[in-house]
Amino acid sequence: MDREGQKRIVEALVLGAPEPVSAQKLAEVVPGLEPDDARSLLAELGREYEEQGRAFEIWEVAGGYQLRTRPEYASYLRLLHRERPLRLSRAALETLAVVAYRQPVTRAEIEAVRGVEADAVLKSLLERQLVRVAGHREVPGRPILYGTTRRFLEVFGLGQLDDLPTLREVEDLLALPADGSAPPPPVSATGDESGDDAEMEPAPELH
Amino acid sequence: MESPGPIGAELRPEGVSAANACAIKLQVFEGPLDLLLHLIRLNEVDITDIPIADIATQYSEYVSLMHELDLDVAGEYLLMAATLAWIKSRMLLPPDGAGDEDEGPDPRAELVARLLEYQRFKEAAEQLGERTLEGRDVFAPQALELEPVPDEERALAVSLVALLEAFRRVLARAGGTGRHEVTAEPIHVRDRMLVVMEALAKRESLDFESLFELEPGRPWSRALLIATFLAILELVRLAAVRVYQGLDAAGVPEGTIRLRRAEGPGADDWAAAVAEIT
Repeated sequence: MDREGQKRIVEALVLGAPEPVSAQKLAEVVPGLEPDDARSLLAELGREYEEQGRAFEIWEVAGGYQLRTRPEYASYLRLLHRERPLRLSRAALETLAVVAYRQPVTRAEIEAVRGVEADAVLKSLLERQLVRVAGHREVPGRPILYGTTRRFLEVFGLGQLDDLPTLREVEDLLALPADGSAPPPPVSATGDESGDDAEMEPAPELH
Repeated sequence: MESPGPIGAELRPEGVSAANACAIKLQVFEGPLDLLLHLIRLNEVDITDIPIADIATQYSEYVSLMHELDLDVAGEYLLMAATLAWIKSRMLLPPDGAGDEDEGPDPRAELVARLLEYQRFKEAAEQLGERTLEGRDVFAPQALELEPVPDEERALAVSLVALLEAFRRVLARAGGTGRHEVTAEPIHVRDRMLVVMEALAKRESLDFESLFELEPGRPWSRALLIATFLAILELVRLAAVRVYQGLDAAGVPEGTIRLRRAEGPGADDWAAAVAEIT
């Protein structure tokens, strides 16, 4: 099979797949194709679409490749998708942020950060498959642990979790002057993301 | 959620009556921490040195206003009001002993830490929301419903009777003396559901019986066997798993019962359902 033939098959696979398809998977399916070849074919396809001014492009998300419409056409497509539009409220985004950066994390830990109940939002995020149950913590009560899903990576256009932008440090938020002229803040510096916030227990009133 | 606009500094809460309510565009806060951050910004104060008395007063005014406008004031807002009052009182009282300013921890410290932590994630959330989202800004071809059919065995709905029979065999093999064991560790059907799903995640399909041999080295009490069976039934009910059996030449179900994870959009809701079981 010649290269053009392979390219067409790769194109068909990326179009017809229900979710992002990896270079490995493409190599398995297309005769005589190595993963690196798949990648270069996809890059070529991407360039062709650009040059031809097509309304779609190839994204690399969630460890695979996916065909997507260009953002310019969003308003038109939203008209088509009126029944199940993707709308993420601030509460959903904040909860997702906590789960994404702190996973695996319990409901109580999410609530400690946001200061409000997380039940309804978590249920909604679970149903939308942006969040998943990732086991439970081996402590009394065995609370459920939550993590993000591959769908989360897909929706947010991330190749993998490491592609999340770094969380801003508390020190950056305080923006203390570099010459150290400001008095030391009464706050305990909490730059760590390990989740082990021994210095920062939730207020006693909040479960 | 759209935020039409904050209550401006020009609007004094005590000057508002219910009649003016419809003319006001109220910023909806994502909870007490969000409201406090707003007040801190509004008053242009240093978060590391919050004038608690002022902020607490304004906070209470806002909460009263939300009440007056019939907005849903969650309990967390009232809890925070109490916290602020507590902090205020601690700031007013001298610490035990000499009354030296340097003594004792700052009563605001914990609150400030919480506020900063929340702010980190609030900003992270905003950043996430600004990304190009699939399903909102860009769209991928719709998922095709692909249901892989195993070659060797035809999928067949296995009757409850067949499952019970299979379970009875499991119990018999385990030495069903009916002896009661008191284990220190409570057994939850929910946990067993997670264990089963995890096992199925690793393999294409599993024998029904092998689900009662997971976690080798762990003693399987009768209670654990039963809880695991209930978990399987629950997962079937949720359509999270498919239970099937081979057919013999005559088309009669025979052979070992096997399970595999179900495909399709409904199947992933099991996680939400499990999370609801407490």
